[in-house]
Amino acid sequence: MQIELAEILETIRMTEVEHFDIRTVTMGINLKDCTSDNLETLKRNIYEKITRTASEHVKTAKLVESQYGISIANKRISITPLSLVADGFHPEDFVEIATVMDKAASELGIDYLGGYSALVQKGFSKGDLNLIKSIPETLSSTKHICSSINVATTKAGINMDAVYLMAKIIKQTAEKTADRDGIGCAKLVVFANVPEDNPFIAGAFHGVSEPDIVVNVGISGPGVILKAVQESPESDFATLSDRIRRMAFKITRAGEFIGRKVAELQNIPFGIVDISLAPTPMPGDSIADIIKAMGIEDVGGAGTTAALALLNDAVKRGGLMASSHVGGMSGAFIPVSEDDGMIKAAEKGNITLEKLEAMTSVCSVGIDMVAVPGDTSAEVIAGLIADECAIGVTNNKTTAVRVIPVPGKSVGQAADYGGLLGIAPVMPISKLNNSNFIKRGGRIPAPAKGINN
Amino acid sequence: MAQISESEIRRIAEQAIEKLGEHATKANIEKVVHETVDRLQNEKMSTPSETVKIPHQHKSGERVIVTAFGKNKIGILAGLTGCLAATNCDVIDLSQKILKEFFTIMLLIDITHSAETFESIKQKLIETGEKFDLKVVVQHEQIFKSMHRI
Repeated sequence: MQIELAEILETIRMTEVEHFDIRTVTMGINLKDCTSDNLETLKRNIYEKITRTASEHVKTAKLVESQYGISIANKRISITPLSLVADGFHPEDFVEIATVMDKAASELGIDYLGGYSALVQKGFSKGDLNLIKSIPETLSSTKHICSSINVATTKAGINMDAVYLMAKIIKQTAEKTADRDGIGCAKLVVFANVPEDNPFIAGAFHGVSEPDIVVNVGISGPGVILKAVQESPESDFATLSDRIRRMAFKITRAGEFIGRKVAELQNIPFGIVDISLAPTPMPGDSIADIIKAMGIEDVGGAGTTAALALLNDAVKRGGLMASSHVGGMSGAFIPVSEDDGMIKAAEKGNITLEKLEAMTSVCSVGIDMVAVPGDTSAEVIAGLIADECAIGVTNNKTTAVRVIPVPGKSVGQAADYGGLLGIAPVMPISKLNNSNFIKRGGRIPAPAKGINN
Repeated sequence: MAQISESEIRRIAEQAIEKLGEHATKANIEKVVHETVDRLQNEKMSTPSETVKIPHQHKSGERVIVTAFGKNKIGILAGLTGCLAATNCDVIDLSQKILKEFFTIMLLIDITHSAETFESIKQKLIETGEKFDLKVVVQHEQIFKSMHRI
């Protein structure tokens, strides 16, 4: 007997008790061949390409889920950044295109469609600018569409005009969805060094160097890692890292296997597995709980950044051994509202924005799903984005900001978005005036390390 | 109108290029693909109940692991293996453990010769398990190999 009973029971414990699942199987679709100078033709081309290409995606994912007993939480689509496909159109045209894509996603049973995106680290084309202007209307009037804008890279530096503009767009999006605590902002992320094959929402899009169609997979599994850490309460750091690495290997293998099956059955190439640990608001499925289990009273305590760095590195070691094609974000996610332990720590004031910012220098995302007071100025939000971009650009890594200035709410209150988006306690943010800095305009030059040829 | 999937169109185009050989000019390929797609769409429209199918999965050498747990009761093993015999599934290996009152069993089965689909066998095993208050999990063997073997 090749497979032992203990191994089977371990697998079942992972899926049944420790919430291990595949967070997303994301189909990337190239829309470059849909372009047209006629809006109606463009809309029809996009609708037909998406519905035709992904017609079997949800059905196939469900079949694979059932056959291998590992659930796939989300079935998603990412598309070529729409600013490239619809360059030359007006903001109101972009909203119409988004409506058509939203309809396609609904009909296909897709959870989210990412790629309402533009890459503007060096400057705006007309299409980029018009897409960005249309974001508040699009995110308030559609259900499945997610938007991401890249405003900085290590090679190009930080486009501070884009940073400021995005801060204003975030404010407008929050206002447009004020009746639902600014939920539009949960579907909008501002990036530095964005990866082009990320399967996770809200930042997923189908990069221009990707094949026509591809399937990428994103794993979950903080619960599994938590269990491994809990089982080694007194081991030294190397042993702890080894325990995490072994579990990361198994969950990455499962993720790659499921992704490959979904791709193979649809006769589509498999792209990458993103080994980010994505938490959920379910108790025990939390990055914060892992940090606590390592021996820190609560996330935010002294040592938190070191603990997160150890976790992130150990997951990468296991994941890289398990799969030849690791890509996307591939690092621990630390969204506040989507992580039960983070929510509790934010409610108690144990985790602050400043500590989160430090943590983002050693993991994959940034200030993610953080609610701030509704009266926070666009300049302060721009400052927050600029700080995250600086960390990403200087350290040659991805960072991002997904922040929600919850209209009418202040510190002590919370926004409840339900489902995987969870509950976001409103966190305090510096009110010091930074507008003279933000309004300088232009680009912050690329760091010397970006010029590496 | 019935939909022809992207992958099907790609396959048609690939076959057309192969068949046309040196005559595979852009215009010729387009013509052949258009004609084939039109014909297929008409065929699909004449059988409207038929939806686009997920490519058929071969069952040859399909090994499945059935795990069941719950309180120990008389007849559990007979119930599960009876269900497997009725669906013509071959039990290749079996392992069980009883810890106090708690019962765990794992069966490695081959479903190649069963006339029924994986889904239907799975459903029958789950229903059998329910009669004995057992939780039954049915999974293809490959997932375990992939996770636990380098």
